[in-house]
Amino acid sequence: MNTTKSICLRLFAAVFALSLVAAACGDDDDDEQPATDATETPSEPAATGDAEPTDDEPAEPADDAEPADDMAEPADDEPSEPAEPADVGEITVGVLVPLTGELGEFGKIVADAIEFGVDEINAAGGTRCGTIRTVVADTGGDAETGIREATNMIESEGAVAVMGPTSGVMVALVDLAHREEVVIMSPYAGTINLNELGGNFVYRTVSSDLGDGAASGLWLSSRGYESVSFLIQNEESTISPAEVARAEVLEAGIEITDFIVYNPGQPSYQAELTTVLANNPDAIFLAGGQESGVTVIKEAVAGGFEGEWLFTADLAVPEIFDAVGAELINDKAFVEFADADPSLPEFISFEERYDKAGDPFAPNSFDMITLVALSLEAADSCDGAGINSTIRGVAHSDGTKVSTFAEGRDILASGGTINYEGASGPLVFDESGTVSGAYTIQQAINGEWVNVEFYPASTFDG
Amino acid sequence: MLLLQFFVSGVATGCFLILATIGFSLTRRVEGFLNIAHAELLGVSAFTTWWLNSHHGWHVLAAAVAAIAFTALVGLGIARVVYDPIRHRGPAVLLITSTGVAFVIGGALHGLIGTGIRTLDIGLAHRYEAFGLRVTSHQLIVVGLAAAVSVSLALFLNRTRTGLAIRAMAVNPELAASRGVNLSATSRATWLLSSGLAGLAGVMLAVLATLTTDLAFAQILQILAVAILAGLGSLYAVILSGLLVGVAMDVSAYWIPAGYRPLVAFAVVIVVLLFRPAGLAGTRDA
Repeated sequence: MNTTKSICLRLFAAVFALSLVAAACGDDDDDEQPATDATETPSEPAATGDAEPTDDEPAEPADDAEPADDMAEPADDEPSEPAEPADVGEITVGVLVPLTGELGEFGKIVADAIEFGVDEINAAGGTRCGTIRTVVADTGGDAETGIREATNMIESEGAVAVMGPTSGVMVALVDLAHREEVVIMSPYAGTINLNELGGNFVYRTVSSDLGDGAASGLWLSSRGYESVSFLIQNEESTISPAEVARAEVLEAGIEITDFIVYNPGQPSYQAELTTVLANNPDAIFLAGGQESGVTVIKEAVAGGFEGEWLFTADLAVPEIFDAVGAELINDKAFVEFADADPSLPEFISFEERYDKAGDPFAPNSFDMITLVALSLEAADSCDGAGINSTIRGVAHSDGTKVSTFAEGRDILASGGTINYEGASGPLVFDESGTVSGAYTIQQAINGEWVNVEFYPASTFDG
Repeated sequence: MLLLQFFVSGVATGCFLILATIGFSLTRRVEGFLNIAHAELLGVSAFTTWWLNSHHGWHVLAAAVAAIAFTALVGLGIARVVYDPIRHRGPAVLLITSTGVAFVIGGALHGLIGTGIRTLDIGLAHRYEAFGLRVTSHQLIVVGLAAAVSVSLALFLNRTRTGLAIRAMAVNPELAASRGVNLSATSRATWLLSSGLAGLAGVMLAVLATLTTDLAFAQILQILAVAILAGLGSLYAVILSGLLVGVAMDVSAYWIPAGYRPLVAFAVVIVVLLFRPAGLAGTRDA
């Protein structure tokens, strides 16, 4: 009996140990069998049946792994020759998003919207470099993980573009993008660091946090407050807009009672709230993530705060009402986030086609993959350098306005030039590879976020 | 008055640290290694409480009791399956293995729970004010539990046969065995107790905080700070150490930005260790 028990225990221990090893080695798969990697999403020109080989031919992984390299070679050898639109295999793009951690919800939204764009592109016949294959990896919001996964995508999977990193990860990837000559793009990385670092191989289809800060500052200044407290999560993506908002609020003559930068991941934020509650401001500007934000809101209200709130984009999700309790923030809370102009026909068209309409940053994510695909159409080579050389011209030119990949591809194929009008708005990259943006303010009303103000990009010109 | 308010907040912070650390220190003393996975046991308990309370409508007290019991069994199970077979390889191997166990638990939690935030289905904390100072019902619960656990643990370790066996095993296992202490049974009791204490801290984490699957492991640095500051000498030192770190962190926000609170915790540890290298309670004894 004891022997049996001991053997069982040892077997259990062995399985546990193996699971430890598996956990430690989880992401180190070689690139020999890309189609079988659980993190990969093979391109799906679903109706055409072109996706089948990846599933049906596991015995020939080498053939599947090569096309991206094959694409790149002719371009290096014959850069001036237009690419052949002939039957080519696949071209790989990386989707590098936080699928876990606090920003996991946003990462999934971005990955889904990119996948929707890929489906449309592949359904239209794919790019001249082949149908698009995505390789998905989770950063967990961590820069070090982001570098490791991006390197794997580029060097092992042959990705020509990496899309979807958050602010901290984007900044960490700048050197890699330059060194590997691979385009990295984000639909939500607003960090002001990219105002200096972006522009060459580094782009974003969202405006800089400076714009978020300006919009927040504008809103706070317009509410007639006499005093405002700032509670800012210790992250690059929250500190930069808060500093811009602070300058705006000070300029409006409003007293800033506190400007507190706090660390997330705490059981309680009572220490941070002590002076805020003592000063009893008219409003609190809370630039924090969901985990810290919800706790701060509850503790502030429990501590006696009865003023108004302005949140940043991380809290612009319906789940906040369940987590906080809608009655605590109804009518008192507002949220500011970069948003597409809902009056644009391109946006309306996207919302009609996409079954997850309303997801934040989904139009920006869709625009990212469409721009990459159109840039490949316009480029001399099927690689990151090719995308980098054409993306600005595709996004903004005196050419024909287009809003879908198929339209743009046809015009480019006939020798024309195009001006892609995105679902998220006009995409005019400035020197730092950043687009100008519009912003929405929503109010918590009856347990929902309701639009109350829209600041078009022109609001902040000059 | 503002400084006193920071002090009040610091006491509550310190009491949570006591709850989170006392089981960790017990394992360290008796089993002889730093069980990094202890922090993830807080997560097991917190999410079990959330699952029973928010998903199945259990009253939070019933959910808490079940979560603590479940966490205690999980901790014991891990000890039996993972740590016991490699105990002879020494504390370094156990420590590294416990880090792996932490990753496995964290991954399992993430796989089961998913992304996003979770909160208990409980009301907002009540606010009490006296002498110009503010305290919430949640803070009072943390302080009360820390006091109750400290007293109960002291009574258990000093007045019960199992408690005395745990203390004997912590000081000298060979001598304890020669005096008739059943080391295996005592070890099991220790794991049940320390994991149950992690479960209690996890329940309070669920009550106070907004849960994500990363949150429990985020507490490990402060748990380590308190445990190291306490030293090996006595579990009572954990109480003093927790209060010291908690009060220092929160009161420091009166003078320096709150973002430096974690730094203050380790600054306190470094300063104390400069003068008392073996921690507040000195070396291992009773």
